[in-house]
Amino acid sequence: MEISSGVRIGPFEVFAPLQPAVSMVRHYGEHHFPGRLIVVEGIDGSGKSTQLSLLHKWLESKGYGVVFSEWNSSPLVKDTTKHGKKKKLLTPATFSLIHSTDFADRTERSILPLLKAGAVVLCDRYIYTAFARDVARGMDRDWVRELYGFAVKPVIAFYFRVPLETAIHRLLDGRDGFKFYEAGMDLNLADDSVESFRMFQGRILSEYEKMIPEFGLTVVDATLPIEVQQAQVRQIVKAHLDKAKELRVQA
Amino acid sequence: MRETYGRLLPEMRLGDLAGKLIVIEGTDGAGRSTQIDLLRPWLEELGHAVVDTGMTRSPLAGDGIRRAKEGNNLGRVTQALFYATDFVDRLENEIVPALRAGFIVLTDRYIYSLMARAIVRGMDPRWIRSIYSVALKPDAVFYLRLGIDQLLPRVVFSRGFDYWESGMDLYPGHDMFDSFCSYQAALLSEFDRLSAEFNFQMVDAAADAKTVCAHLQQNILHLLERDSRKNFISRLYTDSTTAPKATDTALQAVAAPVAAPSTNGNSNGNGNGHHHHAAHPGQ
Repeated sequence: MEISSGVRIGPFEVFAPLQPAVSMVRHYGEHHFPGRLIVVEGIDGSGKSTQLSLLHKWLESKGYGVVFSEWNSSPLVKDTTKHGKKKKLLTPATFSLIHSTDFADRTERSILPLLKAGAVVLCDRYIYTAFARDVARGMDRDWVRELYGFAVKPVIAFYFRVPLETAIHRLLDGRDGFKFYEAGMDLNLADDSVESFRMFQGRILSEYEKMIPEFGLTVVDATLPIEVQQAQVRQIVKAHLDKAKELRVQA
Repeated sequence: MRETYGRLLPEMRLGDLAGKLIVIEGTDGAGRSTQIDLLRPWLEELGHAVVDTGMTRSPLAGDGIRRAKEGNNLGRVTQALFYATDFVDRLENEIVPALRAGFIVLTDRYIYSLMARAIVRGMDPRWIRSIYSVALKPDAVFYLRLGIDQLLPRVVFSRGFDYWESGMDLYPGHDMFDSFCSYQAALLSEFDRLSAEFNFQMVDAAADAKTVCAHLQQNILHLLERDSRKNFISRLYTDSTTAPKATDTALQAVAAPVAAPSTNGNSNGNGNGHHHHAAHPGQ
């Protein structure tokens, strides 16, 4: 496999390696970079990706430098994850670790330098996805949180809340089953993938509910019409960006 | 019973890990793999089944790490976590099953090298320790220590400088020699710190391979004898207090709690695992 030295993410070509620091902070935590990090969370079928892409278009039309980063998409790591899923090599622990590796690469390679450069970074799924899934797989709650201690804290984390059955209807409309790990089949909850998905995503939903107060997630009712949700999202985002007018990219 | 460094992975049972976990640690060029190559046949000759393992040998992440390192654009946090993935894959699928089967596991490096590398690269020591809190505590850690002066000729005159062994990702402005010295010196002092914390048995790796090996063999024998003496005493106790017939019933009694759930209406036919209650074949 060839690995390119520069990676294209949105409009940016990123080359910047991190400075070899004498000591790195434990986590980037509440950063003071000029950029803004906005993330969306929710179970599959909650409609979060649709909402994020509408937000993306709107921000671009307003002249902001916007960059999108998706869960599990690191050019350096995703082949390993794919290999592990295909061969069913992943246990709850290695599932957790390989996803954190992917996230680390995106953080070091793109999210962090882009925030320093002043971009609006949009993430489809963030650390809360890992917290929900890994704990649903039986990993220690504190261990997973410490694992992601290096993550940058987002200015807004939207949580698209949807009842399980609504999500399942939306998802099954387009296809007739779920993938092995997506349905949590590795946990042997049920033989049927839909039933397993229901049980596994049920656990994930309850983890998300606990994280709303823990991390101050911004809840959006994902059963509302798409336009209504988007209007709410834009209003909330606008309030955060008004404070950062200098972020606008000169056209 | 065997312990971890604080946290337990899901479904990790520690109760029946009868084998021995022996760690050979040391910096690059300290002769770790030479020693493992000598120890393995020696242990097998003594009648022990041996598994040896080491960094980036996992089926899950080994190739991915090698590919990522070719590009020389692997970030420091990413690197630390990629290695942790490789380690945990081997821990769960190689080390633990081998220990359960009564093998001696010889591991070329363990969490200590991984922690030292991460800490030298500026990671928070508490962060990296937390990740490796799921690792098993080994039965022995032999630290093959070599000063920087002895290390240099071994590396320079055998394989030359390597980008990662020289820590070039840390000191991109330096030439390979300066970078190598700074990096390996930083690793050595981190190892010395870890040595005190994790009870390493220090071995002078400047001696010739045979001398080092004799020293290791002596210490490993000691470890195994201590264990077999314990086994022998407990068997002596069993033999003298229970007649053969009674032993049979005692075994059934031991097996009963294990068998209970499947006889309790709950039996849904997935009877995998659970045969490890067979008598331990060790001496």
